[in-house]
Amino acid sequence: MRRIAALILLALLVVPQAGCWSRREINELAIVLGAGVDQAAPGQVRLTVQFAKPAAFAGSGEGRSAGGGQGASWVVSAEGRTVDEAARHLSWKVPRDIYWSHCIALVFGEQMARAGVREALDFFQRDREPRETMWLMAAQGEARDFWETFSALENTSAQAIGLINRMKAGYSVQVREMAEMLAGRGIQPVIPRVVAKDEGVSPSPAKEKAGGGFKQVEIAGAAVFKGDRLVGWLDDEETAGLCWLKSKPVYGEITVAGPGGAAKKATVAIRRGKAKIKAFYDSGKGEKVRFDVQLTVEADLVEMQGDEDIARPDVLRALETELGKSVEQTAAALAARAQREFGADIFGFGQAFHRQHKKEWRALKERWDEEFARAEVKIRAEAHIREIGLLSRLTSPSER
Amino acid sequence: MREQTKIDGKQAVMLMLSMILPTAILTIPSISVRLARQDAWLSVAVAVLAGLLFARLSVSLSLRFPGRTLIEYAVEVLGRAAGKVVGVLYIWWFVHMGAVVIREFGAFLATAIMPETPMIVFNIVVAAVAAYAVWCGLEVLSRFNQLFIPLTVFLAVAFVLSIKDMRLERILPLFDTGLLPVLKGAAVPASWLGEIVVFTMIIPSLAAPGSAHRLACISVLLIGVFLILSILEALLVFGPEMTAAWFFPTFNAVRVVSIAGFLERLESVITVVWVVGGFIKVGVFYYAAVLAGAQWAGLRDYRPLVIPFGVVLVSLSILLFDNTAHMFAYLSQTWPAYALLVFEAGIPLLLLVAAMIRGKGEKGGR
Repeated sequence: MRRIAALILLALLVVPQAGCWSRREINELAIVLGAGVDQAAPGQVRLTVQFAKPAAFAGSGEGRSAGGGQGASWVVSAEGRTVDEAARHLSWKVPRDIYWSHCIALVFGEQMARAGVREALDFFQRDREPRETMWLMAAQGEARDFWETFSALENTSAQAIGLINRMKAGYSVQVREMAEMLAGRGIQPVIPRVVAKDEGVSPSPAKEKAGGGFKQVEIAGAAVFKGDRLVGWLDDEETAGLCWLKSKPVYGEITVAGPGGAAKKATVAIRRGKAKIKAFYDSGKGEKVRFDVQLTVEADLVEMQGDEDIARPDVLRALETELGKSVEQTAAALAARAQREFGADIFGFGQAFHRQHKKEWRALKERWDEEFARAEVKIRAEAHIREIGLLSRLTSPSER
Repeated sequence: MREQTKIDGKQAVMLMLSMILPTAILTIPSISVRLARQDAWLSVAVAVLAGLLFARLSVSLSLRFPGRTLIEYAVEVLGRAAGKVVGVLYIWWFVHMGAVVIREFGAFLATAIMPETPMIVFNIVVAAVAAYAVWCGLEVLSRFNQLFIPLTVFLAVAFVLSIKDMRLERILPLFDTGLLPVLKGAAVPASWLGEIVVFTMIIPSLAAPGSAHRLACISVLLIGVFLILSILEALLVFGPEMTAAWFFPTFNAVRVVSIAGFLERLESVITVVWVVGGFIKVGVFYYAAVLAGAQWAGLRDYRPLVIPFGVVLVSLSILLFDNTAHMFAYLSQTWPAYALLVFEAGIPLLLLVAAMIRGKGEKGGR
């Protein structure tokens, strides 16, 4: 009898195994791929969300009709006083449960960024669904316009910008890093700048008739913040300097005058950049903060104009010197701009100072912005070329 | 009453490990970092030293009275009335502790994993499973733990996988805040390590009680290593400000792991460690509470107390705190003084001194 009772109980246990309490089936979810926050009316934010359209993802990624009429995403916006309120308003239009865990990127519109982003970030950290590893960017113009795009190569523009970030093609920042920069003393936030503009064509008979390109997303430089407000943009070259000074991995390329003279260019791909920041504090009258920054850049030669034989050590050394000079100039110009124009310590020099002079830092930390602006920054760069490719010199008639 | 089951040394260490570690790695980093900032891991090192002292104290006390638990020898040392009062205090503390752990368990799952499920469901489920384990006895609990403790290795794996996102600068400069914050930050982890006082209820069940000193030391050191690793993981990934801002920074740190674009979203791993360890922790305190209750009342068996104590545990776990914020405020401000000074150090020290003065117990049990 007991055995039978136990068996029946066991069998009953199977029933609750089949389901779980907070279950959310995939066909009931609206999966967010990208989100954007703009400032609408004062005190109002507009949340723009790019949802995945699951049907477009069915089958292999390459299998969908290239450049076909059906997009793979759906972009909607809603306004509210807070981000979550906007999301609630969004749920009036979205027939499914909005699911944030797969959100790849978060973009702030320019106006929002200028007004301050700290509070808008709260939702994305407090809620358990959005991840700390979302890529964070500032769009020139409106975030909505940025997300109302598609990708010619990927399923959606959110995936495209996510991959561009992941490849470290430019400077990239995750939400957690932004939060750290916002919370930290002795550093000011800087995040990538993105734009959507007409770029490239996917040639097809229909395209031929319609003419023109279509909007694609791209990373273009960086956005400098002071506190949590956007104060200015950096261009591509300055952004490269930023990556070196912050010791961030970046797979960018720079072009310098080659060994063959100023007109003959050489292009190198940066593999690694590292900044060693030494902070000095001169007390006494007119106390002064000084920084000695030693940049070390490792690069591979990828293209060279001119006839020099790069396999010759002296030619290679000349190129390294040229490269070092170029890196030094770029970084120094950026540092000067950060000091004079923005007054924002985007490199975290203050943190370096804190690490090296923790006693003096206590007095300086409250007025670090001014101290940074009038600090003396010396930047020296050293470049090493590691690989020169498969070719020793440009193929041309030899002298013999 | 006397417990008949015996557990061996390895099982005892594993039991202590699962008893202290799971709740510690999730709740301590945030609390300690708020006080000691980037030096919080030094706080834990200080706490480990304190923990070794607590372990020494509890074990020395127990070894003076072989085969008996704290509830039993308290009466011999202090006399009937005072001894019984101490017994009641410990029964209360074990129940209170058990209820707090159930609450932490439910709060984490309801906040971070399944927000739509009412917390009481988690609380009832974990208490029910623990009740069954306690009913079956210490040996069953230990064996279950032995089976699942290898999962703790995942904590080390998570640490290794996070190395990519770590930067040493985040914990520099050392000793930035000075000595006092480091000591303040040590109070909470010390109160956690002091939970080793529960060992006084388990030592009589050890197959070889003589090794208790060694076992307690190993336990405290192992817990200390894992705890320092988890604090460092959060600090090195997020820096002090973010670590202090999050309630469960270790959980967030594991969420950040992303290796080659496919080895990511590993938080379920840490959740598994949490669920299994939380269950063991509830089980140990539950067991200590009913055993203490039975010995205090002079029952022959503790089993009649299992269900009533379970009901009290679950009810208390809901009634103790209004919300998670309240729980954290309590754990970081009130708990260390209450647990540390009274139950983990105060009363055991009092008992030991009293026993030495009155010449109670065996001198051999150093």
